[in-house]
Amino acid sequence: MTRSKARLLVVDDSASIVSSLCKVLDLSGYHVEPACSGIDALRKLHQTHYDIVICDIEMPELTGLDFLQKISRDFQDEVSVILMTGFLDQEYFINAIRLGAADFIRKPIDTKQLLSSIEHILGKRKIKDENHEFQQYLQSADFSFSIMPVNFSKSNLFNALSSFLRHNFKIDQQVLNELLLCMDEMVYNAYIHGTLQLDQQERRLDYATLQAVISHKLSDPVTAARRIRLRIVINRNEDCVMIEVDDDGDGFDHHAVMQKVLSEQDLSLVEHGRGITLLCHLAHKVEFENSGRRVRITKHLSNGGTSKPASI
Amino acid sequence: MSIELNIDKSVATMKIEGILNSENSYVLQEKLTEVLNSDATLLELDLAECRNISSTGIGKILLFFKDFIGKNGEVEVIRCSKSVYELFSMLKLNQLFTINLG
Repeated sequence: MTRSKARLLVVDDSASIVSSLCKVLDLSGYHVEPACSGIDALRKLHQTHYDIVICDIEMPELTGLDFLQKISRDFQDEVSVILMTGFLDQEYFINAIRLGAADFIRKPIDTKQLLSSIEHILGKRKIKDENHEFQQYLQSADFSFSIMPVNFSKSNLFNALSSFLRHNFKIDQQVLNELLLCMDEMVYNAYIHGTLQLDQQERRLDYATLQAVISHKLSDPVTAARRIRLRIVINRNEDCVMIEVDDDGDGFDHHAVMQKVLSEQDLSLVEHGRGITLLCHLAHKVEFENSGRRVRITKHLSNGGTSKPASI
Repeated sequence: MSIELNIDKSVATMKIEGILNSENSYVLQEKLTEVLNSDATLLELDLAECRNISSTGIGKILLFFKDFIGKNGEVEVIRCSKSVYELFSMLKLNQLFTINLG
């Protein structure tokens, strides 16, 4: 990324600091904008993309740590944050690093140090951007995973796949969240119903008791030998993602459940079919095969957000 | 995902941030059980920072709701993100409790 393309946001409640930093960074060739508070900065970040935010730690309304927390929640690693601080507190620094701070600059600001920090961060982002660019040129990408039920509860699949998709493909955050939720529904159903075949009473147990029941079920070699197969296909040409989940269970009457889901006009407190209702809400197409052992959803990438009822 | 629960006499306030999915819905179940075992008769749910809820999470809320109304409890969603509001409306949960967007 060249300097002229990099967008920086300087956040401080001191107008003189913001003004002088903006001047220095502008003269250094960056596109730079000011923000007078964390709230102001968040508002700007939601409107425009910035590569780096240079932010004071002590600000009214929103502290540097609160600001970092909101940035890491809303933008993950899309935005790097350099914190400016006049003091060194070990615990504060540990928390800031955990929340994803990219660097720290001591106040009063040493311009050379700040510019070197910005260059270092932009260098790392360039490598990541090149990877993203490469992914953009791919016509399609097809990934398959086979999940062993004995490792399922330890796998933290949702976080792992969230990180994998976020780092490798530029997918709109809301679309990504909805895709992950669909995946969670499909894989969890394959685990709870298809693989473990838990009944309603077992599913309602408290966490510790449920884990004991699951351990017991998985001690049966037949259950432990079952697999959950997850396939994710990203098709750039058709601008969509396909997620497919297979299990080795007994299947179910998906025609009846689908009919019920699509015809239900009133609130239903019945548990059966709620996951499928949610899939129909979040995806653009929901399909079943192999007597309900395979479920496939298709979701368009560009028209984010929910939703219209899915076609089947 | 994080859940912040405050119980002040008859009012319990629960703030959920992030995505509530099948992996973390047991945390919600534990917090709801805490509310059920307290003297609270009103649960205020703040879902403004909650980006989405899986069917497992919805199931936990509905199971709690059934038990809570059994002890004359009431649930109100005091703030709600757009995505969760759409989901709740689609599932017609607004027939069960008040849901405020915002």
